[in-house]
Amino acid sequence: MTALEELNRTILLCRDYVADALSDEEICQGFQSRKVLCVSDLRNLSSHSGQTALVTLVSLLSRMGMQVGLSIPEVALLSPQPPLLGQSICESLIASSQTLVTGATVRRASGFNPEMIFVLGDTEIASSHAISWRLCGSDWHGALSMEKTAGTKRWVAEWPVGSMVSAALAANEAFKFVMRCLPLRDQGAQVFFEPSRSCDWNFGSVSLPQWDIDLGQVDLISAGAISQATLYAVMRFPRIQMRGRIFDDDLTGASNLNRNMLSVVTDVGTPKVQVVARCCGTKLQIDPVPNRFIRSSFEVRELARRVLVGVDDIQSRWEVQRHAPGWVAVSGTSHFSVSSSAHSPGEPCSGCLHPVDDPAGANPIPTVSFVSFWAGLAMAVRLLREALVSPYSTDRQHLWLTPLRMDQPRAAIWLPVAPRRDCPVHCMASRLL
Amino acid sequence: MTIIVEKKFAVEIVYNGVTKSLQVEPEEQVTALLQKAIAAFGITQQPHLLSLFRQDGSVVPENASVERAGLKPGEILLLRPNAVKGGRGLLRLARDMVQATFRTLRECGRGECECAVYWTGPAGEDLVDGFEHPIHKRSPFDYEVDDDWLTEFWKRLAASKRSVKVQVHTHPGAAFHSSSDDMWPIVSQPDFVSIVIPDFAIGEPTLDRAWVGRLHADGKWRCLGSAGEALVLA
Repeated sequence: MTALEELNRTILLCRDYVADALSDEEICQGFQSRKVLCVSDLRNLSSHSGQTALVTLVSLLSRMGMQVGLSIPEVALLSPQPPLLGQSICESLIASSQTLVTGATVRRASGFNPEMIFVLGDTEIASSHAISWRLCGSDWHGALSMEKTAGTKRWVAEWPVGSMVSAALAANEAFKFVMRCLPLRDQGAQVFFEPSRSCDWNFGSVSLPQWDIDLGQVDLISAGAISQATLYAVMRFPRIQMRGRIFDDDLTGASNLNRNMLSVVTDVGTPKVQVVARCCGTKLQIDPVPNRFIRSSFEVRELARRVLVGVDDIQSRWEVQRHAPGWVAVSGTSHFSVSSSAHSPGEPCSGCLHPVDDPAGANPIPTVSFVSFWAGLAMAVRLLREALVSPYSTDRQHLWLTPLRMDQPRAAIWLPVAPRRDCPVHCMASRLL
Repeated sequence: MTIIVEKKFAVEIVYNGVTKSLQVEPEEQVTALLQKAIAAFGITQQPHLLSLFRQDGSVVPENASVERAGLKPGEILLLRPNAVKGGRGLLRLARDMVQATFRTLRECGRGECECAVYWTGPAGEDLVDGFEHPIHKRSPFDYEVDDDWLTEFWKRLAASKRSVKVQVHTHPGAAFHSSSDDMWPIVSQPDFVSIVIPDFAIGEPTLDRAWVGRLHADGKWRCLGSAGEALVLA
């Protein structure tokens, strides 16, 4: 296996904009040659949110093939951080070196000469010529900023949604840094890759109970990137319980490593459902089903009341929607954009939102770590809110988010889902038109 | 004195999170606006799949003018993929169709000869609500539909504004599409569906073991993973 194979989909996504003359090897090298320093002090790493921000950021950077240096203290992990192994955060991250993508190293930063620096919270750092950002946030809100301001706070949050948001925002800046170093086909596209001085995203706070939160029985359709990102997020939620099944007949491939957040290099060739079930451990009891969920058109497995759909195939989304007895969440990516929606019975369904099969959606699909991660994270938040009977309002049934320029006011747009007369699922909402 | 009324106005197009303002005229076609937006953002990857969406989640109809589509000055439009273009939906199969088809195929084939039926429905709709059992010669290895019957069949379909949606036939053993099946479907248009049922249809009346394929624009048949990829019960 080579990094070129593993980063194949990321390279394909870059080809949306890089000059045609550039070879795959040159694009790959563009990522692998980048050195990113991650810095934190003890205080910022003494919370689950701070630890999750760092682990998620390093994972997203590594899955782009970048070289990561760590300037962090040795701190015991407050919670497991699968697929990383180890007792302390530094040890775990260094042990992850070259396990996420071949050649993507994670090491202590002595002698490291970074081009980018990411700083956790209010950690003090020495001045540097490298471009730098700070990751800040709270339970549900994540932010990234080049400047340290009065709002730059230490990571103390119990819930790690904001920290994962900040990590995704940071990984996006690292990606754009690489793109700015590559010749583009059309100079007009530079606007998509300009650095953000500051940006943020808020999934909205949720009123949480004091007791354990049971997400109930949940079925996941696909064990690919989006489902893995969802479970990566859910397993980091405190006091959470979940049972369910995950359906997928596919094996982990080298080209999945650029985005499958629970997979490591040694998982290549292993069924995806097995990889996921292993990572979920006992906290999330996920039964691996190494088959597609539909065996035939007339023999459909009974689905749980909550279904998460991470499958790319539009027709499979319709099929799940037709047979789902309850709530369905669907997340997907299209190049640099994320589509995430939820559909309760009676609401316009995923067929209304994705009305017809995508004939051009053939493999291989261009993807990159942080875009897939956003899709999964958004679905994890929807699942939590659904379980807590605090779903988004109908005018937020659909989220269209393009994380490239999160400093722009319309980088993310909440939308209702309009019912369609030609809904391929023939859902209730479409029949009422 | 001639008064010139400025009819142009701007709409805001959002793509990849970036907003650009584009001038439009009321009589301008939405298609033209779409093309301008695609050009403004320099989109070269699958631009044919892109559409403009309003903030209420609805798609802006491309076959209308800007005025008829109801676009207003300053309106924010999201440019994003819409697979509605060029895609295909599932055929909705009336209840009992599979049972009735198996019954006919068994009675005619008697476990020793191939047989065929054609599933039909209203032209222009995705509903399958009837089937025709053609007059045909039969043998254990093939079937041949009677020319005269076929001519009359086409006339009847035209008169009743119906069309053939799916052809279904049996094989003596395994279900597959033979070279003659590939060459001579009753309909040779893209997206036409063909189903082959194994063992002269003497098994369980289900499409679980059937070969189900779809004809593509390049003239090739593609085997589908299951009947569910082409059909759904109405």
